[in-house]
Amino acid sequence: MSGFMETEEQARHRFQLELEFVQCLANPNYLNFLAQRGYLREKPFVNYLKYLLYWKEPEYAKFLKYPHCLHMLELLQYEHFRKELVNAQCTKFIDEQQILHWQHYSRKRTRLQQALAEQQQQHQPQAPSHGNTTSK
Amino acid sequence: MRKRGETVMAAAAEKSTKEKLLSTLDDIEVLSRELIEMLALSRTQKLPQPGEDTDILELLVQRDKEFQELMQTAVEQGEVHQEMQALEKEVEKRDSDIQQLQKQLKEAEHVLATAVYQAKEKLKSIEKARKGSISSEEIIKYAHRISASNAVCAPLNWVPGDPRRPYPTDLEMRSGILGNMSNMPTNGVNGHLPGDALAAGRLPDILTPQYPWQSADVSMGILPPHHGNDFGLEPPGHNKENEDDVEAMSTDSSSSSSDSD
Repeated sequence: MSGFMETEEQARHRFQLELEFVQCLANPNYLNFLAQRGYLREKPFVNYLKYLLYWKEPEYAKFLKYPHCLHMLELLQYEHFRKELVNAQCTKFIDEQQILHWQHYSRKRTRLQQALAEQQQQHQPQAPSHGNTTSK
Repeated sequence: MRKRGETVMAAAAEKSTKEKLLSTLDDIEVLSRELIEMLALSRTQKLPQPGEDTDILELLVQRDKEFQELMQTAVEQGEVHQEMQALEKEVEKRDSDIQQLQKQLKEAEHVLATAVYQAKEKLKSIEKARKGSISSEEIIKYAHRISASNAVCAPLNWVPGDPRRPYPTDLEMRSGILGNMSNMPTNGVNGHLPGDALAAGRLPDILTPQYPWQSADVSMGILPPHHGNDFGLEPPGHNKENEDDVEAMSTDSSSSSSDSD
């Protein structure tokens, strides 16, 4: 069984499969799904997850569109994490935190914009006040 | 005079110069006393033995000669002894020089060992850095790609209720190759294909919109790393944690529970 030769076509196909699958791991709901069906308890699956770590290498990582999956993959190497994923509350929490983190930069940007707008408002009232004194 | 130690073997017993001198002196003392006594006696009475005084005189002369010789020997021995002392001092000096050099050598060795070790560490870190080096062009390109699709940064107009997510959603997952696995003949070898789990949910749509996260540029020719295809075996290297209870599970349960069909 081990060491069977696959054609290049098969290898490319496998590449796409693994690319898709590893990115699916970024989805906490999918992780919950896997955990509840007991996949995360099976040794071959765990070994497969360890094998998937090759996506961390730069020449492979550049194909990933959802980089969160790499962090999830790293966490999945720990048995404690895999055990916790069965819990729906846990995955919900992960989902929330993930989305909040995802919004981090846009929040920061809106904050900066607000700060800039406030600064400009502070500068502006000085100009009309000059006008008032002269008109009087 | 330095006294030479007497050996245990009585046959080879050599008297030291000092002893010889002293015994000779004793002899001279005894002889001269006898002579004087004889001379003192000869005043009053005749000599009992005629040639005794000459005998004693001869003995005296002899002893004196011996004495002179012994004194000469003693002087020579003294000189030799002085030389020996001087040489011993030299030896001591050389000894301390050697010890000093030894200390310095040890220090130098220590310093060099430290330097070599640090250099090796530095080389290791250089190697590590070189291994992970990527052109800034590529990094910027990649950053563009993942940002443009809102994969790492939420779109600016995102509100709760927006279906977009930082991970592939259900819909996206189903419309990929994995999602359509049950429609295609499986390879069969990797009976544990996790795509079956995905296929467990009914796939309503035949149309498969290709999302960009699924299509890698296949013409790049990159292939996944080869594996023995039997993930039931223990992988090389250690697992990250002590997985006692996982190993208690039977490893031949490689059948995937596909709830579909």
